[in-house]
Amino acid sequence: MSKTTRVLTVDDSASMRALLNHALSTNGFDVAQADDGMSALEWLAANEVDVVITDINMPRLDGFGLIEQVRGGTRHRDRPILVLTTESSDEKKARARAAGATGWIVKPFDTDKLVAAVRRVAH
Amino acid sequence: MSPEEIQQIFFAECEESLSAAEAGLAACREGTQDADTVNAVFRAVHSIKGGAGAFGYIALQAYTHTFETLLSDVREGLVAIEPKLVDLLLRALDTLSDHVEAAQEGGAPPPDAALIAEMEAAMAVGGAGSAHVAAPESEPEPEPASDSGEDFGLDLDALLDDLTGGFDTAAPEHSRWPVHLRPRAGAMRNGSEPLLMLREIAALGGQVEQCDVSQVPPLDALSVAEGYLGWTFSLPIDVAEDAVREIFDFIGDDCALAFGADEEIPPVELLSPGIECAAPPAEPAAHSPDKPAAPPPAAASAPAQVPAAATTAGQSIRIDLFKLDRLIDLVGELVIAQAMLDQRLEGAGVTATEELSLLESLTRDIQESAMSIRAQPIGSVFSRVPRILRDLASTTGKHVKLDVFGETTELDKTVIERLGEPLTHLIRNAVDHGIETAEERIAAGKSPEGTLTLSAEHRSGRILISIGDDGAGINRERVLAKAIEKGIVSADAQLSAEEIDNLIFAPGFSTAQVVSNISGRGVGMDVVRQNVKDLGGRITIESTPGKGTTFLLTLPLTLAISDGMIVNVGDQTLVVPLAHVVESLRPEEGAVQGLGSSQAMLNVRGRFIPVIALKDALGSPLGATSPEEGVLVVVDTESAGQAALLVDGIQDQRQFVIKSLATNFRVVEGVAGATILGDGRVALIVDVDSLVACALPPQDRPNHDRPNHERHAA
Repeated sequence: MSKTTRVLTVDDSASMRALLNHALSTNGFDVAQADDGMSALEWLAANEVDVVITDINMPRLDGFGLIEQVRGGTRHRDRPILVLTTESSDEKKARARAAGATGWIVKPFDTDKLVAAVRRVAH
Repeated sequence: MSPEEIQQIFFAECEESLSAAEAGLAACREGTQDADTVNAVFRAVHSIKGGAGAFGYIALQAYTHTFETLLSDVREGLVAIEPKLVDLLLRALDTLSDHVEAAQEGGAPPPDAALIAEMEAAMAVGGAGSAHVAAPESEPEPEPASDSGEDFGLDLDALLDDLTGGFDTAAPEHSRWPVHLRPRAGAMRNGSEPLLMLREIAALGGQVEQCDVSQVPPLDALSVAEGYLGWTFSLPIDVAEDAVREIFDFIGDDCALAFGADEEIPPVELLSPGIECAAPPAEPAAHSPDKPAAPPPAAASAPAQVPAAATTAGQSIRIDLFKLDRLIDLVGELVIAQAMLDQRLEGAGVTATEELSLLESLTRDIQESAMSIRAQPIGSVFSRVPRILRDLASTTGKHVKLDVFGETTELDKTVIERLGEPLTHLIRNAVDHGIETAEERIAAGKSPEGTLTLSAEHRSGRILISIGDDGAGINRERVLAKAIEKGIVSADAQLSAEEIDNLIFAPGFSTAQVVSNISGRGVGMDVVRQNVKDLGGRITIESTPGKGTTFLLTLPLTLAISDGMIVNVGDQTLVVPLAHVVESLRPEEGAVQGLGSSQAMLNVRGRFIPVIALKDALGSPLGATSPEEGVLVVVDTESAGQAALLVDGIQDQRQFVIKSLATNFRVVEGVAGATILGDGRVALIVDVDSLVACALPPQDRPNHDRPNHERHAA
């Protein structure tokens, strides 16, 4: 566990990215940001990551699409992906699971819980 | 980044979201009601809600929640998109905008109870409408125990509460109960790691009692993705079954669980047939794991859905404006340095033309790129207009259709920001004074609904914005009568139609017979004109009685660089901003006539304008004193109409970077600033307005043949 855990946060809202960045980087995580699924995929094509945290509702490529793409690829298919969204309906949860999400965090999030959640899934 | 800065980002984002929602709803009203459009509106509101929750704006969050729920119904197709609904959504959006403002300024949230009730009434009957939603592939419950099967979500929050609670548990050795588990192949999927879950059991105080390795095949038959191992853990008695179950909630039925002493480790279920346990896979088809050769169809189709988007969509970063301005400033210096080098080399007879022209074109490219960073589409200003029109419709009863053209036209951010106010005023003016009431329109044979046309386009290095209405046009008789009444022009003045139109820019002028609370608030069109002028622009009117009025704004693309005419006066070099220059001419014989002892007037196509020798205005000992010796530059000013500036000669016409004299030296009347010329010398930029106003004694200002000499009318 000597290596810093690198987290990619994917959210189209800059303030949400800033909040995540603040919460995670002050807790010792290395944070990268992408503003939607497409840019997340572009980033993932060139970078390594330990945990991905993604919003669901995003332009271009939403969170489900992103998870499906990551799981369908080879390079990052085994990476834990946490879904972060205000929508907490069971239908969405089930869909996220079916798409291949590793876990689920409802926003607004509590920093401690967020950090614990990331630690929990980080291999 | 401080929390305050993050909040700032949030509010900036709210602005964007509100604009996006506005645009989406406008498209809906125009008949574009496809999924993308509706989803964009939903996303915008959703995004505001997310931030509102994160930052603790409870009223905003509660309101957006209702709004979002309704939009969700719309998106799911549970609520039909009808004009009435779009209208409701637009009103809801207006209130949302007020909510955001209240949150930002810490004010009281707007009253929203009526709207919330209305939105709730509009929602799909029966609430969430989950029945309509295609049920996701239902996954079988973990077979041994289904008593808590209601929630197979992945709620980390709840889970972590239990987890942290569990750390404290110091397990007494004697009273323990067993849990049996066997991760299946799927437990390794989706980035899950069974090892971490076993560690969590250990963290709850679990101890391994037994590990079943009997199913592990010979190495050559071993598949790394399969779950061959099973465990029995013993847990302290005070650890609830649910706590264990929740650890595995994450992976659902991909790990078989059994609780209690009566159970055993669940049997192995392997995916690949042919190995000892030939049990058929219990996996639903859509779930079929670990077959890289055949990815799920959804994954395969996803790239096709988002083709060129990757290259087009707005990848953006936020930069501190100060840094950007510094860059632009430096680029300006670079342009000047390049020009200086050019001149110096030319003077020294060095002909490195190829390299120089390369440098020049690179410098120009850099300059253009730097400028384009500051540029934003004017759509951000235009997008506020529908709201203004709706507000106006409710106060005036005039319903106005909006046509927008060229909203992608880009111009400088500062110009955009400062354009909002004059534009708003012009629009209010157009609706209030320009467009007639529905009855009047019908009587005139027009559609009862007025039309407002906004357009923006680039034209010869400047931007042209037009705000046109199809109303009654300017009532020139009334304007003239009013101007005479107010003493703005004399009663016997002979004015052209155009000049009468321009009278509405006079301070204190208001033509509405009933001064309304919309555009007749004391500040009038003169302020608009001043705003536009401050931006280095001009405003003109085109009005046809019965057909409507169009205001044309010509603005520079940027404020950092202006076009100027470089003129010589004696030994000085001066810059006259091109925005003021109407024409330049060498007067014909007899065109300049004396007026009294000191004043000369220039006859420009039958109209007389005062001649000002720039030399005198500057107090310079050298320079042309009679028009025959030099060139006359006809300029247009705000306060004193046109005037002809006498200069020795015109040297060049070029772009210049304005350096403030006030910050570097002090304010000088008649001088707008300074710039550095190509030869490295500093040249003063003439403040045409104040220079002309100073040079002409008030009583000499002709006020009968030009409409906009309103200084002393104010």
